[in-house]
Amino acid sequence: MATTTYLSNPVVTVNSVDLTDQCSAATFTHRFDQLENTSFGKTARTYQAGLGNHEVTLTLYQSYASSETYATLAALVGTTTTVIVKPATGSESATNPGFTLTGCFLAEMPVVNATMGELSTVDITFVGGDYTVDVTP
Amino acid sequence: MYYVITNKRIGNLGDVYKPKPGINVEALLWAGFIAQVDDGTTDEVSTTEAPKGAKTKKATKKD
Repeated sequence: MATTTYLSNPVVTVNSVDLTDQCSAATFTHRFDQLENTSFGKTARTYQAGLGNHEVTLTLYQSYASSETYATLAALVGTTTTVIVKPATGSESATNPGFTLTGCFLAEMPVVNATMGELSTVDITFVGGDYTVDVTP
Repeated sequence: MYYVITNKRIGNLGDVYKPKPGINVEALLWAGFIAQVDDGTTDEVSTTEAPKGAKTKKATKKD
């Protein structure tokens, strides 16, 4: 039966810091570089995987208070860290995998992104690193 | 030297924090999520130097 999934209570951890209550969107992409290996004799283009090129994009509510978004991310800009996103709370399992990007790089972060009358949010993207899936509790 | 959790976003307050691979510990220290505790031990390993030879010249025959 086809199912649809909406994330209502995922867990988002950046550099060991639980930012779940600051996060409103998460996109975790498992990607490999696309290398063409088409040769004579083939009738269609063919490709093979190159280097892994994974990334995680998070939308976070900005806060400059202690232990909040800015405090967590400010020292990570220009460095590498580990980001984990789980679909739900609880232990990792086959139906609740912990998608992990170890050694991913944060190139930039909007330190101010404000519009009058609206909650301030920041979109940050971690790129690179090793992708793993944790299904063991 | 070890680290202690000082913020609930990391774990239980007061627990020893053991960073997993890839974690930026300096960033956690800067933001105050963990604290460094110096227990007097260091990560340096002391080695014993080999004894140096005596600074004496060997007698040589001269023709």
